[in-house]
Amino acid sequence: MTLVARDVGVVYGTRVALQPVNVALERGELVALVGPNGAGKTSLLKALAGLLPYAGTVTWSGAALDSLASRARARLIAYLPQAASLHWPMTTRDLVALGRLPHRAFGAAPSEDDRAATEWALEQTETTAFAQRSVDRLSSGERARVLLARALAVRAPVLLVDEPIAALDPYHQLQVMATLRAYASDGALVVAVLHDLPLVARFCARVLLLDAGAVVDDGNPERVLNARALERHYRVEPLVTTHEGEPLILPWRRLTPR
Amino acid sequence: MTTAAPRSASDTREVRAAWRLSGALGILVIAAAGASLVIGRTSGGPTFGFGGPDLARIVLTEIRVPRTLLALLVGGTLGLCGAALQGLLRNPLAEPGLLGASSGAAFGAVLVFYFGLAGADSLMLPAGAVAGSLVALAALYGLAGRRGDFLTVVLAGIAINAFAAALTSLALNFAPSPYAALEILFWMLGSLADRSLAHVALALPLMVPGWLLVIAAARGLDALTLGEETAASLGLDPRRTQWLVIGGTALAVGGAVAVTGVVGFVGLVVPHLLRGRVGQHPSRLLLPSFLGGAVLTSVADVAIRLMPPGPELKLGVVTALLGAPFFLHLIVRARPAGGA
Repeated sequence: MTLVARDVGVVYGTRVALQPVNVALERGELVALVGPNGAGKTSLLKALAGLLPYAGTVTWSGAALDSLASRARARLIAYLPQAASLHWPMTTRDLVALGRLPHRAFGAAPSEDDRAATEWALEQTETTAFAQRSVDRLSSGERARVLLARALAVRAPVLLVDEPIAALDPYHQLQVMATLRAYASDGALVVAVLHDLPLVARFCARVLLLDAGAVVDDGNPERVLNARALERHYRVEPLVTTHEGEPLILPWRRLTPR
Repeated sequence: MTTAAPRSASDTREVRAAWRLSGALGILVIAAAGASLVIGRTSGGPTFGFGGPDLARIVLTEIRVPRTLLALLVGGTLGLCGAALQGLLRNPLAEPGLLGASSGAAFGAVLVFYFGLAGADSLMLPAGAVAGSLVALAALYGLAGRRGDFLTVVLAGIAINAFAAALTSLALNFAPSPYAALEILFWMLGSLADRSLAHVALALPLMVPGWLLVIAAARGLDALTLGEETAASLGLDPRRTQWLVIGGTALAVGGAVAVTGVVGFVGLVVPHLLRGRVGQHPSRLLLPSFLGGAVLTSVADVAIRLMPPGPELKLGVVTALLGAPFFLHLIVRARPAGGA
């Protein structure tokens, strides 16, 4: 099954945030959306999630997402916004369980599936230890993992996450990247907006590089994150090497601003 | 899954705690209603019982039953709508009165009084109140609802309240006679005294659909805990939730104000006291807030009847006297974190 974007473009007023994009994303893939600030990564992710008006069509297995009922769509696509807000200090477990809302009928008690998915999501993000703690007593990194657990708890075939590791310490950055990759290997499509190029190169088999509202390259990290591309689009000179047989790409020096 | 068993047990324990809370509040509702049925008041102060077997039927059906029913219905409406508005705006200071819904409804009703339409058609008063409440809440939503941050909502509510109060004063200013002005003024203070079953029949057809609309928003309110975008991604369109709550509140509070005038702060205090007991869950807060509002309002109304001899206090005056310091306390307590 494939998520296909055909001529998907986003316009805010008169500003073009995303020029028409054509891309096909497969189940089983962990896809990174990278590019400098303002490149259109979040706009593309939100368009795929159906959270903003866009031109063009997005289809899943051939069916247009617009034609789906909102609940069916919510079961198909889970979305984690960048810097999500939390408004009531619920317990971590209650908050993660909100990810089951698309699966629960009005007034119905959580099913065994709902409970199992919630516990699974807590374990995946290593947040079980503070499942009973109120989310306002968590650090920002812990909270970021709880919010990811909420998105995982939907158990959707498509998971779209916007900067899921920005607030995390190195241990948990690696842990979350491994979780996302494992979730994709289990048969989901995971699309993540990421800024951490070394982790993108290590964990993502496919990278979409965006700049100025357009997808400028699409492929494996060695190909997309080459020195010339990083100099041109990120204005940084990278260190590109391999370590333990895997690509190691490290932004090293800033070039003159364009 | 050996580890899942105790966890799911604790999960249902929280849900069960919410139901136990509703059960306890239900018992309090019955107790308060019982007290409200047996305690009366004359110009000589409180009276107990029904004043003799031959009078009992009349006292009950003409005075005590309508008053008790209205206290429960109006209190329940204010508690429920307060909880829903707090969930919608994600702000513990939201309340139908503070947000201008009540004063808007009051102005709508005053206009009906002013043009002398109240007597002509009994449906004009509630219609005016609902229209006023709807306009006030729509204005609030237009001014602050999209962002919904702490300060904007309260300030917009203050502005709408002030404007509605100014318009009401204007109507008083041009009142056809001092007697009409006094009638409007007294009505606005909020009271359950001298109401009949006709008032219940007037309010109920507005309140019930209002409650149902608000309850239909329950899942959407839970989803809004995570912000508007995430709520939308969970298939619960925030705009739908917003209109369900605003429309439902306008109907139910409009109906309540149409028969009792403005009774403030019940919708603020009750959800606030109960929120911690339901794990901060917006949807689990709705039923307890309805019952809690019914209890608080009937207890306040019984307390009024127990006052020493003298002119009867108005219910709206009592809830405002108790509620305003509570509101102040909340603001003072929220201030250190309020900057965020």
